Amino acid sequence: MKKLATYGIKPHDAEVKADGQKWSLMEKLLLGLTLDQYLDQLKRNKFNWLLALIFAIGIPVIIYRFIFGLGVVTHASYDYPWGLFLGFGLFCMVPLSASGFMLGTTVEIFGRHDFEPIERLALLNGLLGYFFAVVYLLVDLGQPWRLIYPMFVSWGPAAVLFLVGWHVATYLSVQVMEVSTAFFEWIGFPRGYEFIRKGTVGLTVSGIILSTLHQGALGALFTYAPGKVHPLWYSSSFQWIHYFTSSIPAGLCMVISVSTIVILTMKWRCDDRFINNLDRITLSLAKGAAMGLITYLFIKLLAVAHDNEWAYIATGWGAWWLFEMLAGVLLPMFLLAVGIHNKNVLLCRIGAFVTVFGILLNRLNTALITFNWQLYQEIPHMWEIVISITIFAIYVATYRFILNRLPILYQYKAQAVEEGVAVEAEQKAAVNA
Amino acid sequence: MVRAGRQLITGLGVLLLSAVLAVGCFAMDDFPDEVEIDSLANLYDGVVFDHAMHVDMTENCADCHHHTTGTGVVDEYCAKCHDGAEDGDTVACQDCHSANPVSPENFHSTPEAYSYHDDKPNLKAAYHLNCVGCHQDVGGPTGCEDCHAKTDAGEKYYHSGEYAPKQDPHQAAHH
Amino acid sequence: MSKISRRKFLAGSVAGGAAVMMTPAKKALAAGSFEGFPDGMGVLVDFTRCVGCRTCEAACNKEQNLPAPAKPFDDYSVFDEIHHGQPRRPTSKAYTVVNRYETKEEGPVFRKIQCNHCNEPACLTSCFVNAYTKTPEGAVIYNSKVCVGCRNCMIACPFHIPGYTYESVINPVIKKCIFCYDTRLKEGRPPACVESCPQQVMTFGKRAELMNIAHERMRKNPEKYVDHIYGEKEVGGTGWFYISGVPFEELGFDTHLPKEPIINNVKDFLAVVPMVLAIWPALFTGFHLLATKGKSHGHGDDHSHGEEGH
Repeated sequence: MKKLATYGIKPHDAEVKADGQKWSLMEKLLLGLTLDQYLDQLKRNKFNWLLALIFAIGIPVIIYRFIFGLGVVTHASYDYPWGLFLGFGLFCMVPLSASGFMLGTTVEIFGRHDFEPIERLALLNGLLGYFFAVVYLLVDLGQPWRLIYPMFVSWGPAAVLFLVGWHVATYLSVQVMEVSTAFFEWIGFPRGYEFIRKGTVGLTVSGIILSTLHQGALGALFTYAPGKVHPLWYSSSFQWIHYFTSSIPAGLCMVISVSTIVILTMKWRCDDRFINNLDRITLSLAKGAAMGLITYLFIKLLAVAHDNEWAYIATGWGAWWLFEMLAGVLLPMFLLAVGIHNKNVLLCRIGAFVTVFGILLNRLNTALITFNWQLYQEIPHMWEIVISITIFAIYVATYRFILNRLPILYQYKAQAVEEGVAVEAEQKAAVNA
Repeated sequence: MVRAGRQLITGLGVLLLSAVLAVGCFAMDDFPDEVEIDSLANLYDGVVFDHAMHVDMTENCADCHHHTTGTGVVDEYCAKCHDGAEDGDTVACQDCHSANPVSPENFHSTPEAYSYHDDKPNLKAAYHLNCVGCHQDVGGPTGCEDCHAKTDAGEKYYHSGEYAPKQDPHQAAHH
Repeated sequence: MSKISRRKFLAGSVAGGAAVMMTPAKKALAAGSFEGFPDGMGVLVDFTRCVGCRTCEAACNKEQNLPAPAKPFDDYSVFDEIHHGQPRRPTSKAYTVVNRYETKEEGPVFRKIQCNHCNEPACLTSCFVNAYTKTPEGAVIYNSKVCVGCRNCMIACPFHIPGYTYESVINPVIKKCIFCYDTRLKEGRPPACVESCPQQVMTFGKRAELMNIAHERMRKNPEKYVDHIYGEKEVGGTGWFYISGVPFEELGFDTHLPKEPIINNVKDFLAVVPMVLAIWPALFTGFHLLATKGKSHGHGDDHSHGEEGH
């Protein structure tokens, strides 16, 4: 894509081209390239080959699962009813997607418009994370076509999962609306954009409510299994707080991680506003993440003290717990703190990646690794792993597809302009909006 | 199972009735040498119970018949009332143990007065608990088919013998 | 430059909030103190009587029209089967299993496992489509018509009971002991396993009455039983409960389960739900008004970034 310039093409970033012509939908989709040029650059990118390989193996396996049932791609375990699809797909993707509501809150509620350059990336990260969590869920459900049953057919309102279902569904619509502003700009439908913008505060506030509750609810789901989750990962009083609190650094660090990948691999798509503000924003987000991690660590210890589980730390599971705490919480906290102190963006970025790892570890530990600690451990079925990787690859491909097109990393302008008059164009864009 | 269960109960009822008719009129030293229990022939064939041999082996009729035969009771709990050792009106199991597994009288035989007789095993259990319990203690046979052979219906019920699952090679692990 | 009027702003919050309020979280708090239906039936299981004949397994198989077993029901080699270091457990093809445990005091002791029909079942409270019902007769039954297949009930069940027909493509469902509700319990008859048992290991009756009988048996024979009725208090009490001559740990029972219903563990969270629903909207719109006082609310305005500091 860096070679876009070699085709003599300026990336699509405005409703009207520099020569006064409007972009057609096809041009927008193909990034202004011809179909041949577009396919050429697709083939040139090694990462696409990796994706193609994953799809070639994984998509048939997904089809296989829907033709022959869950039993052929999982261990069909009665003791581990939830495998990787939920353990990774739901319990990991959702906290990593908490970015949407956090940046939404920061910008829209607290009026911190200095975070605006990254707000849309955070919102998109949230939307896609949730959307693909639902995709994982659809693969995992025995009867996915009944997904709407808890909404319309039969209510079980005392169940935590009922809350999760409703909230994820509602929040997904909220996020679709939030991100739709970027889509309306891109497609050229300013009235849709205007309509959604008017409800922004309402949408954002409901986003906070829904997020607080369902991030917590995912943790509360495990309070149904007091004998099954290891005591160090279980707390009937604090489980939901653990999940909610850790979703804050999770979401923020996911944004830092994604923005790092973006700035390294698709800088052409980022406008100056994004590029010039990113270091500053990364440090600010890192600050938030570090605060979140400290709070999280504190409540984790509080829970152990509250249930008096110190004795467990001396066991093998305790060593594993200590590893999670050290590598997944303390280490990133340290990296972020040093990074913030020295204004070292690289260190903050490494810290963010480690935080994401720590969250993955925590969720997998609760849902799979320490689950049934008194029975036996189970390594997920090979096809289960393949399907999980495949869906993640589809997630990455979708993410990139959208970032390449919609005004997420750049601001949409009314008319493309030559270099040097960008400020004027930005003002025009504002008027247009 | 519904039908099988009912047949079982009916079978037991008929069996007991005949056993009572046979046994009830005998005096202390006037018992049958052999009781053929063959009306049970549903899942299992009948049992020929060697009564004489069991009489020889035990010291006291009360080992099986509680206090109803007039001999001194073994269980001190029963002795609280039945130490007088008078003959009961009957010695038949079924007069006290209901063939109906959920008969309310299993819980409360006679309202209020007889709280000691609450929680009586049903008839089938009374037999098995008595026989198997003692057999376990004295080393008598305890396997199901040590006492009664399985019928065709029984093999079907247990998926054994002719009806054993094909793929499993060692289906002959009967007792 | 879209400056939102107060009215529009409120409408926006209400619309957003309404979507949230749709979620009926209140009812959740009603659950939790339920002690079981007064006349609910139960089963007292006395392990001192069980001889491991597996007749109950055969009876269940026939009554519930379950698939033919892998081994005959009089094949006792199943007692030596170990999967993942565990003895057999109920599955979608066998709602009840009998296992043998080697104990210090008594040698081999047999234990029958099936759904315990909890007074306040975790499966029921965890189900988001309300597929489970605790009937007044005492059975915990399941409606496969509404089941989505999330398998949260399998996570929640403290006794590892529900099985799932993973092999089914079109209609995978939960399979577990239903106390022979449809065919027997509804008419007041005992489940097939209870009726089939030659030793009356299981006594069927009103739970409250059976509990007295259990206490009475233990009182009369204190040397025969350990002083514990498993299921009297565990997870809020279970419809099927157990007395034994050996400590329950030795029979593979989880003796660390809480005495109160599983749902009580979830209550800390459920209590938060209405509070968040009630407080958050006002709190955060308040924050918004404070934080943006005198400033524009709009987006896409030409903000000069970074000037607000941090």
